[in-house]
Amino acid sequence: MRCFNCGCNLTEQDFCTNCGVDVNNYKLVVSASNIYYNDGLERAKVRDLTGAVISLRQCLKLNKNHVDARNLLGLIYFEMGEGVQALNEWVISKNLRSKKNIAGDYLNLIQSNPGKLDALNAAIKKFNQALTYCYQGSLDLAVIQLKKVLSMNPSYVQAHLLLALLYLKSEEWTKAKKEVEKVLKIDTNNITALRYLQEVKRVLGEDEGVKGGGKSRNTAKAAAEKLTKISEESFQYQSGNETIIQPLNAMEKKSVHSIWNIVIGIVLGIAAAWFLILPAKIQNEKAVANDELRKVGEQLDVKAATINELESKVKILEKETQNLQGQLEGFVGSGGTMEDVEYLLQATSQFLEDPTATEEIAGFLEKINPASLTENSSPSFRGLYQLLLEQVGAEMASSFYEEGRKAYQNNDFEIAVEQLKKAVTYDPKNQDAYLNLANSYRKMEKLTEAAEVYGKIIELFPGTDLANRAQSYLNEITP
Amino acid sequence: MINFEEELKKFHLSLEIEEAEDALYRKRLTDIADLVVELVKEAKEEESEN
Repeated sequence: MRCFNCGCNLTEQDFCTNCGVDVNNYKLVVSASNIYYNDGLERAKVRDLTGAVISLRQCLKLNKNHVDARNLLGLIYFEMGEGVQALNEWVISKNLRSKKNIAGDYLNLIQSNPGKLDALNAAIKKFNQALTYCYQGSLDLAVIQLKKVLSMNPSYVQAHLLLALLYLKSEEWTKAKKEVEKVLKIDTNNITALRYLQEVKRVLGEDEGVKGGGKSRNTAKAAAEKLTKISEESFQYQSGNETIIQPLNAMEKKSVHSIWNIVIGIVLGIAAAWFLILPAKIQNEKAVANDELRKVGEQLDVKAATINELESKVKILEKETQNLQGQLEGFVGSGGTMEDVEYLLQATSQFLEDPTATEEIAGFLEKINPASLTENSSPSFRGLYQLLLEQVGAEMASSFYEEGRKAYQNNDFEIAVEQLKKAVTYDPKNQDAYLNLANSYRKMEKLTEAAEVYGKIIELFPGTDLANRAQSYLNEITP
Repeated sequence: MINFEEELKKFHLSLEIEEAEDALYRKRLTDIADLVVELVKEAKEEESEN
């Protein structure tokens, strides 16, 4: 011990032999601090860390320069998961005594392992967060956070205690008990842990054994020894002031009941699946099938519409085909344009071979349909026809006229009309042919046709004698 | 019976590494020995004045 005034070593005297200052009270204080340190050390040796912390703090309140006490306090803080407090104590200790101080080794050990330091700090931060969650009422989040904290730092006493408290709050007694037991393994005399354990055991019906942390097992043993078999069917034991008699077959009944409960549970489970899950599944399958059906229906509608459209197109095409067929018939078939062209070509060919063969040429020209000589026909066709007609028309007309006249004279009016009509066709200026034709009609009593031909004579040859005669006949036959 | 709210009040936020330095500076390091030394000094001064 050194003098606080001069630093000289003190003797057994109550004053400093060097500077003379009174050190009696100072010695008492330092002595008291040593007593606390010794107490703390003893407690730390038996893992009564809470008690050790109290004693060491007392020691340091009396003598802040007690380096050993400060180092031990730091070590205990570190063991309880309070890394920063441990660092604080060791830093102060290192400042008080820079050489031959184990605090320096502790600090070096931590500083050489930054990962460990980070893990410690992270655990502390998560613990603080969990505590904040508790204040905010988010207890589930706090539990999750505390579990993380303890996975990072399993010796964090405060985290274990807070988790135990949360389990107590949520009435998870077994879990709370486990946490408390973990605390008691680190800190055997932790007052808070012991209180929590007492609460848990009270709730679980084990409170009679809890008078102190280590006594519970002994008390349980004692209680077990008190079990007395009083007959083959029952036994009795003491619980506090009460004597409890329990039948031996209670356990057997219990197991039978358990089996029944399991069977009933399975039956209920199957029933729930049958009545709740199966209908939902069927409903789901039905919905899927309906959906498929709807899609197929939609596809069918689309296809039906396409078929209708194609059918209408087929009808239109059929009509067009018929029209084209008709047109083709008009060109190629009997009385068609192509046939008329064929006759005209034959007539031309005949004319070129023998221009005097008027009868054959006329035969071909007669076969040409007059309807094909309209303005719609080809100009070349009409031109060729007219050319041939001019070449052979006069002779043809004369021939037809002679035949007609002979038939008229023989009163064969049918033939007469037929031949005379051809004669006026090929020679429209033949007045006699017209007159004989009109007379033939009149004699056949076809008065309408007769009147028509008389009218034409009057029109074509006005002021002529023939016209006068025609007028006379016309007046006769018209009423 | 444990009162959750009351128990919760007993828990305090732990010091983080970033706060350690400030905490160190704030820490009161005066001990009984300091007080005794102070008292002895004061007594000595009173004696010398008298």
